[in-house]
Amino acid sequence: MSVLADTFSDFIVQRFGARSARVIEFDKLSGGAIQDNFGLTLELEGGDRPGRQAFVVRQDAPSGVAESLSRPEEFRVLQAAYGAGVTAPEPLWLCEDPAVSGHIFYVMARASGTASPRKIARGELTEDQRRHLVRRLGAELARLHTVRPPRDSLSFLERPADDDPARSRVTHYRGYLAEIGEPHPVIEWALNWLEDNAPEPGDTVLCHCDFRTGNYMVDGDELTAILDWEFATWSDPCEDLGWLCSRSWRFGNHDREAGGVGFKQDLLASYREVSGADVDPAVVSYWEVMALVRWALIALQQARRHMSGEQRSLELALTGRMVAQMEHDLLNQIPELEEAQ
Amino acid sequence: MINEPDTRDLLTEARSVLVDALVPDLSGDQKYQALMIANALGMAIREIEQREQGEPETTDRLLSTFLAERQLSDQSSQGEEALARALRERRLDGGDPQLRAVLKEMTEARLRINNPGYVT
Repeated sequence: MSVLADTFSDFIVQRFGARSARVIEFDKLSGGAIQDNFGLTLELEGGDRPGRQAFVVRQDAPSGVAESLSRPEEFRVLQAAYGAGVTAPEPLWLCEDPAVSGHIFYVMARASGTASPRKIARGELTEDQRRHLVRRLGAELARLHTVRPPRDSLSFLERPADDDPARSRVTHYRGYLAEIGEPHPVIEWALNWLEDNAPEPGDTVLCHCDFRTGNYMVDGDELTAILDWEFATWSDPCEDLGWLCSRSWRFGNHDREAGGVGFKQDLLASYREVSGADVDPAVVSYWEVMALVRWALIALQQARRHMSGEQRSLELALTGRMVAQMEHDLLNQIPELEEAQ
Repeated sequence: MINEPDTRDLLTEARSVLVDALVPDLSGDQKYQALMIANALGMAIREIEQREQGEPETTDRLLSTFLAERQLSDQSSQGEEALARALRERRLDGGDPQLRAVLKEMTEARLRINNPGYVT
């Protein structure tokens, strides 16, 4: 570990043009099957940013997942989001030379606070603080969604077929389900519903695609960073809003649709104020259904990784047994939306 | 073959030792892992109980009646496969209340094993 700390420290010293650095803290951060995250705090002497600085170094783990972005792609997405004014960790440098650490990696500034859903959604924030946080989430998404195609630095991101993200997702998900190869009538039924009720395609924008409680950091009641950009792609803005509001990501606070923290009306009001765009709540609800299907398929894929022997894991096995929850939610939410129409 | 105490009894006891005697002294990742084991044991226990009560047969019968009434029964595949295929091929009306009732029952039967608290 200390060799790795020195490697990253030397790299940062060089980039900042510092005279030297002392490693104050170096540890492997949790949460990454796809990538390794290291926390590194340095005391820098001289250079562009002298003093104590905290960084996160993110590099590929031995087992990658084909669906997600590579580290260089993720770095460019992060740059685009940060450049659009999103509270993302400041992207500092990408190192594409594997000779440096053995892997391709990038360095970003480390944000303070916690990403724990238990602390954020189930913690002790007051009603006002919750409302403030939810409004902030709406504003962040509005800023992210100002990034639109075409964009040279993001040319690796695929545009949805016919610029129709909803129908394009349905086609992809049918493919995933066929690949998984076990019968899931409820998911088939939901995919049919999603196909039949797809909204007219709106704008295509840069979406985070995993924007939920657990993937942003909060310090006190202030949002300090939006994390985990590896699933970002061009899509419908309502995909991000719907994913955040999905029943799967409310952490037990079922009446608080916005990430288990607060209310959808505050989220959408703030999104509208900052973006100037009108958002149809019915389209957000449609994407909440899409989110349930997507999470069910991810859970099935994770269970397959365990069952095939590729990665034996009790956690992955139990995730497979969660699929019935998403199916139950689909069977409740679709009729509710039909009644509301 | 008589082999007692039976599997359900063994699993139930193992789970209560884990939850009552071990978990209180654990923290962090070890506690998380122990609770995952308790969760898995709970599912296995409930699955055995449901089998003893003949629940899977009741759900299967409901599904096969539904498929037979719509001439969708298929000797070569299980009921869920036939139903999934009929839906994919759009041979069923997604709004059919009976279809929805069958889907709901199949899902709730799994939830009664996987997470009984989720069925409200």
